[in-house]
Amino acid sequence: MTKSPKELAEERLARFEAAANLEEPDKVPLWGLSGDIIPACYGITQYEFNYDYEKAVRAIEKFIKDFPFDFSMAGLSGLEGRIFSIAFSEFPDLSVNLGMISGPMHDILGDKYYRFPGREIEENASPQFIGGTFMEADEYDKLIEDPVGFISETVLKRVCRNLATPRQAMATWVRLGVEIKRSAYFAGEIGRVSAQLGFPALPLGWGYAPLDIIGDFLRGIETVVLDIHRYPEKVKKATEALVEPIINYALTSKMIGAKYAFFPLHLNEYLSPKLYNEFYWPYLKKIILRLLDEGIKSFLFFEGQHEAHLETILELPKGWGIAYFEKTDIIKAKKLLQGHTCVMGGIPMGLVTGGTPAEIQEYIKKLLEEVKPGGGFILAPGVGTAPADTPLKNISAVIEAVEKYG
Amino acid sequence: MQEELFNKIVDMDEEGSIKMAREYLESGGDPQKLLEVCRNAMGVIGDKFEKGEYFLSELILGGEIFGNIMKFTLPLIKGDTKKLGKIVLGTVKDDIHNIGKDIFKAFAEAAGFEVVDIGVNTPVEKFVEAAKTHKPDIVGMSCLITAGLSSMKKTVEALKAAGITNAKIIIGGGRVDEEVKQFVGADAWADDAAKGVRLCKELMGVEG
Repeated sequence: MTKSPKELAEERLARFEAAANLEEPDKVPLWGLSGDIIPACYGITQYEFNYDYEKAVRAIEKFIKDFPFDFSMAGLSGLEGRIFSIAFSEFPDLSVNLGMISGPMHDILGDKYYRFPGREIEENASPQFIGGTFMEADEYDKLIEDPVGFISETVLKRVCRNLATPRQAMATWVRLGVEIKRSAYFAGEIGRVSAQLGFPALPLGWGYAPLDIIGDFLRGIETVVLDIHRYPEKVKKATEALVEPIINYALTSKMIGAKYAFFPLHLNEYLSPKLYNEFYWPYLKKIILRLLDEGIKSFLFFEGQHEAHLETILELPKGWGIAYFEKTDIIKAKKLLQGHTCVMGGIPMGLVTGGTPAEIQEYIKKLLEEVKPGGGFILAPGVGTAPADTPLKNISAVIEAVEKYG
Repeated sequence: MQEELFNKIVDMDEEGSIKMAREYLESGGDPQKLLEVCRNAMGVIGDKFEKGEYFLSELILGGEIFGNIMKFTLPLIKGDTKKLGKIVLGTVKDDIHNIGKDIFKAFAEAAGFEVVDIGVNTPVEKFVEAAKTHKPDIVGMSCLITAGLSSMKKTVEALKAAGITNAKIIIGGGRVDEEVKQFVGADAWADDAAKGVRLCKELMGVEG
């Protein structure tokens, strides 16, 4: 009896929800790879994948057909656009559409945050976020006083060449709206294709850590780290001022039925426990708790090494959400957070890129013996972006291993 | 002065340590001695990082303090200081990230290496050319994104094909590990700058 696509999708979604609710699903849910491998498998360049939506949809269709992970981040390509969402946080219908900036949107804005293939970097390079310093140290007071106003009226003009004058800005925002409308059709197309193949649409929205907004979009990562030492009170007040706008923006995803809010965390690895507990965590925690009150579980991607801060997760209420780890020892994290937090991660990308199918199977078998008991676990690559020349048999080996041992 | 300045740097007192270094030189202090103190302090900051007492933010601040003091100290040092060895360093092709490379560079220079920085998104040919021109003891490749893994492999292959076999190759960055080292064909890997510098010393046969 083969299952219908609808049954398959329901099964996969139930698997995810069971893990998120700290239960033991029928099988360990498997979160898949994406990245350069998707256009490479379809034989198109990263430039085509970023700029030709029709081809991008077909590439994604082929990839999820060939490699049926339960879920993946395979979608239209884009880079972090949270600063734009915050700038528009008083206009939920617009804010909700600005979380990711695509290649065509990057062209329209003429921004300095991103590097896209076929534009600043070569046609087969991955799109990359570079950020920068777009606010001076003596402007913290302006940010503290009116974060949304300062970002939308002062910072964005510096970031985007095509917002330099009011007249240019008029044209740019209209063009951006048209582009959002155009891309929405293709995003819908990915949804339709996924459903036909038995993949669920995960009800995912977004969140962000306040200090990361300052590090990624306003001051630059190296600079914000120095600011913490030089102007601790200013940084703290600015971080606090950003809590409310981020909550407003995160709640816009309720309109589209989101039940989870995905936060990529960046500065967590940079900070000692002392600094993390003073400048980063309290404000992030406020957002997580507020979203939980609104019925949204947070889905945090702890980039890099989070070992030094693991214990702080226990300050959150049981069942608050999902902790996705990149390089933290996943077995240690699972032991500590068992019965409290759904833990996700576990597959090093180096192994998928450079290992053999047998090594991959053996690794996953051993890992699952440790982390599967008791449920509340989602297996995922530490970082989901697979290089273009990742051996395809290695990707299949991941899926087979979960079939066997999950 | 020496012990007090050393402690100020290790304790991350940016303002205090820079002021003290300036005053020491203005009162006729020996710039060579000052360099030694700063280098030793950077060594301890690296050790503290490896022990888990310090984090990336302290490495960045340490590099900043060291760089600022060097700006007014190095011009006063007559002749060449003895170098541990030479490193050609770059972020590999198709990766435009510089943070990891820059932190490593600050600590490698503080440890006594001469570093030739060839930038980010560095084509394979540029690595080969720099290795031929500068004849380094070590070639350091940095990457943050996973796409960089393939670039590293291609760069190592190109260096070997060009007959550059004397230089040791170290790879560094958030996404590298033992598995990646083998895949790439490098001699050593580090996912943090402090470990990277320690391994470079070991590659040179110096106490790490």
